[in-house]
Amino acid sequence: MPPMPGPEHVAVPLTTTIDGERRRTARDLPDVVRCGVIDAVYVHVPFCFHKCHYCDFYSFVDRQDRQGVFVDRLIEEMTAAAHGWSAPLDSIFVGGGTPTLLAPPHWKRLLASMRSVLPLSTSLEFTVEANPETVTPELAEVLAAGGVNRASIGAQSFEPRHLQTLERWHDPASVVRAAGILREAGIDNINLDLIFGIPGQRLEEWYDDLDAALALGPSHLSCYGLTYEANTAMTRRLEAGAFERIDDALEAEMYGAARTRLAAAGFEQYEISNWARRAGNGIRACRHNLAYWRSRNWWPLGPSASGHVEGWRWKNVPRLGDYLDASPWPPIGDVEHLDDDGQVGERLMLGLRLNEGIAAAELKMLLARGARGGQRRAAFERHTTSGLLEWNGDRLRLTPRGQLLADTVLAEVV
Amino acid sequence: MNIRNFSIIAHIDHGKSTLADRLLQATHAVSDREAKSQLLDSMDLERERGITIKASAVTVHHTYNGEDYQLNFIDTPGHVDFAYEVSRALTACEGAVLVVDATQGVEAQTVANAYLAVSHDLELIPVVNKIDLPSADPDKVAMEVEAVLGLPAEDCIYVSAKTGQGIPELLDAICSRLPAPRPSTTDATRALIFDSHYDDYRGVIVYFRVFDGSLKVGDRIRMMGTGRTYQISDLGRYTPFPVRVKEVRWAEVGYMVAAIRELGDVRVGDTITLDARPAADPLPGYEEPKQMVFCDFYPSSTGEGSGRKGDFEALREAVEKLHLNDASFTYQVEHSEALGFGFRCGFLGLLHMDIVQERLEREGGVEVVQTAPTVSYKVDLNDGTQIEIHNPADLPDMSKVVAIREPIVKLEIICPTESIGDLMKLCDARRGIFKTQRFLSEGRQILDYEIPLAEIIYDFYDKLKSMTRGYGTMDYEVIEYRVDNLVKVNVLVNGTPVEALSLICHRDNAEYRSRLILQKLKKQIDRHQFEIPLQAAIGGKIIARESISALRKNVTAKCYGGDVTRKRKLLEKQKEGKKRMKQIGNVTIPQEAFMAVLSQSED
Repeated sequence: MPPMPGPEHVAVPLTTTIDGERRRTARDLPDVVRCGVIDAVYVHVPFCFHKCHYCDFYSFVDRQDRQGVFVDRLIEEMTAAAHGWSAPLDSIFVGGGTPTLLAPPHWKRLLASMRSVLPLSTSLEFTVEANPETVTPELAEVLAAGGVNRASIGAQSFEPRHLQTLERWHDPASVVRAAGILREAGIDNINLDLIFGIPGQRLEEWYDDLDAALALGPSHLSCYGLTYEANTAMTRRLEAGAFERIDDALEAEMYGAARTRLAAAGFEQYEISNWARRAGNGIRACRHNLAYWRSRNWWPLGPSASGHVEGWRWKNVPRLGDYLDASPWPPIGDVEHLDDDGQVGERLMLGLRLNEGIAAAELKMLLARGARGGQRRAAFERHTTSGLLEWNGDRLRLTPRGQLLADTVLAEVV
Repeated sequence: MNIRNFSIIAHIDHGKSTLADRLLQATHAVSDREAKSQLLDSMDLERERGITIKASAVTVHHTYNGEDYQLNFIDTPGHVDFAYEVSRALTACEGAVLVVDATQGVEAQTVANAYLAVSHDLELIPVVNKIDLPSADPDKVAMEVEAVLGLPAEDCIYVSAKTGQGIPELLDAICSRLPAPRPSTTDATRALIFDSHYDDYRGVIVYFRVFDGSLKVGDRIRMMGTGRTYQISDLGRYTPFPVRVKEVRWAEVGYMVAAIRELGDVRVGDTITLDARPAADPLPGYEEPKQMVFCDFYPSSTGEGSGRKGDFEALREAVEKLHLNDASFTYQVEHSEALGFGFRCGFLGLLHMDIVQERLEREGGVEVVQTAPTVSYKVDLNDGTQIEIHNPADLPDMSKVVAIREPIVKLEIICPTESIGDLMKLCDARRGIFKTQRFLSEGRQILDYEIPLAEIIYDFYDKLKSMTRGYGTMDYEVIEYRVDNLVKVNVLVNGTPVEALSLICHRDNAEYRSRLILQKLKKQIDRHQFEIPLQAAIGGKIIARESISALRKNVTAKCYGGDVTRKRKLLEKQKEGKKRMKQIGNVTIPQEAFMAVLSQSED
């Protein structure tokens, strides 16, 4: 049974006012959203050292003086949102920004509130994004004690020259150190983010990066082909001719290299850019990200955090100032509810990213919905013939070659 | 009754429509409020482009020296593509008002139109318009008129169609300086059709000028060119609002409705006579419309279901419907191995082609893929016969071909003196033959060339405009077909010859053109999952090659919770980009690629 809003909810203001202007908040979303069973929570911590040049996520340079107010405000938002949630959360993911820039006392307070306010599953996956330079034994202790059991470290590369191209200023040795500290504190479910296809990167260097990552004994690896996002400094430098994109045949080769090397090391690929170590009968996949790709419900907390509940997507106000001014419900934007056909396209786009693919039964249902079932079916047939898609038992999925050309397929069915 | 039949002729934007409206207003034919809009242009498209495509005729009255004059103002299309229509409208007149912009001076079309009027024995009244503008230099412009057209500068009437200055003098001049209509030469009735258009409710409306006799409601008429007969159900004239009359008499202008179903049944230039008492000879000057530029229209579609019958049927409906309104383009079903079913269409000129394509999309609601325009060629065969082809694909086996003839135009360019060098280089590069260079006025010259029509149908006008910073103008007229060393170049995509990409060009330019085409195709065809060879060949001989490497990677690396909407939109954009495409074998080719065969420069 979805939790019904209690009588207290009536007392919660329906809208938030900023500079005298009435703004929409998550409270104004339809009942189907407010009553949806929430599987996961995403918390955004906006503080950063500086803005990385390839990153288009919202973040800004750390200002210690606002950390306390931010945590106060986050606790208020969380308390208001979680009121009436009864089903246990399967995952919490704290991303940024740089969450590890938040000082340990603030973390302590935040984690304590989470435990008291949020209904948590006993098998909760609780991930914190960690910047290698900012992980200290003290912080690691606080996180572990507060229930954090998974960490994601932005290693990107172990070659200083390439880190510099990416405008990442950490010392590769700090990744080794951070992983050690986290493990020492009891957080042994560790992901490392790696980037390949960096301008000037050679295949051997990529193998070296993979080996260096594996040497740290992670349970999970994300390997991303470098993406030039619009409106980032990195893309502007590319356009200005500061460097050249690497040849896509080489990038394809690097992708293949990740597959073979990681498979040999006991990892299984479960999404286009994600690998998890085999453990027992299963793999240690990131359950939080699976919630995204399986179109589950997750609730956003913090400035610029995005949420999805029952086909509705929205995003909290991105400016920290606006966020701090409004309590407890922050203004929201980018509210989107796709029509039937759009929802089918989105489901296909997300589901086919996963190696598990989409079950025949669900596919049949999806093709029956939406306005373009025939066109989608034709595209699926064509790409199955051309070898980009395949049936794995009763599930349709991208082939290894299809994963490299995923957008060619997905653009036709989205 | 004093009657004066006249046209206004002008270069685009020299103020013809505004002047026409002002004349109607000055003769009290329309109110001031109605005069606000340009009454004579009826189609949106025309108004947007500032040109008049369909002619109308308006009758007004003016008192001069105490006598009443019936003034019949016959509108003419302003563009050279419609030269034949212009000539028919001028035939219906005794005089013409030649409008020149006081800030721009004489332009190429001014000259062409003036010569056309003079060749029809029309009396000209030169008018210098827009004298209210600060940059106006009417005296200089009047001197240009004298220098180029031989009309005395002092005969020019200075007017401002905007403020009304000079308009009464112009009306008086129309009455005093233009000749009265010539007397009848036969007892039989003869009227000239100078325009027609299609009305959804009444069918075809025919505009005519009576030269001999008269036409009455109920008369059974015969079109002397087509031999068809009809009964007149309605006669009238525009004032500019339609007014029904019982009879249109000698020298008068009017319209008729006669249960004519299709525009194709009426030929501009044809002579109307009475079925019961026909004239012995038609009025002179009748010609079939001559299409000079040809291209294919195919329904646009994405990869899946490409070439579906429904798309073609929708295109057919749109083409047939448009043809009701514009009988001067031709169409026939075309089938291409590569592109499926479509239509090969012929147009009077380039502008005409653009207008038809736009109207098909706008009014017909279909999306079309247009192939590169070509001219018609006359091919001498070794059995002594000659055929005309409108498509490089129709060229017979070269072993049967003795010679290929292409249309040559007389090209007249008016340009600033400092651009002469660049323009001469451009014309030379396009196989132009220099004829003369004439002085027009301080800083402006006239260049005359003979040049193959094929060389100017694509980017020539754009180049001329940019070389002259917008000041250059051009006009052309086809003079003959001439033999040259022409060859057919085939383009093969992934080993398959694509007829729609083949072209006929001069042998000396074939390698160079082929390389440019392949380079352009390489840029425009997206990479596929396999390598795509591109080749150009004359007969079996490959003269240029390129290849499009295989697409190795096309994947969004990151797609997490907050990215979903944006990544979905990026994918949708990829899909959107594939709309105007054609599937040829395994290769998807965008519309732009079909224009690649026209590329003549490396940009």
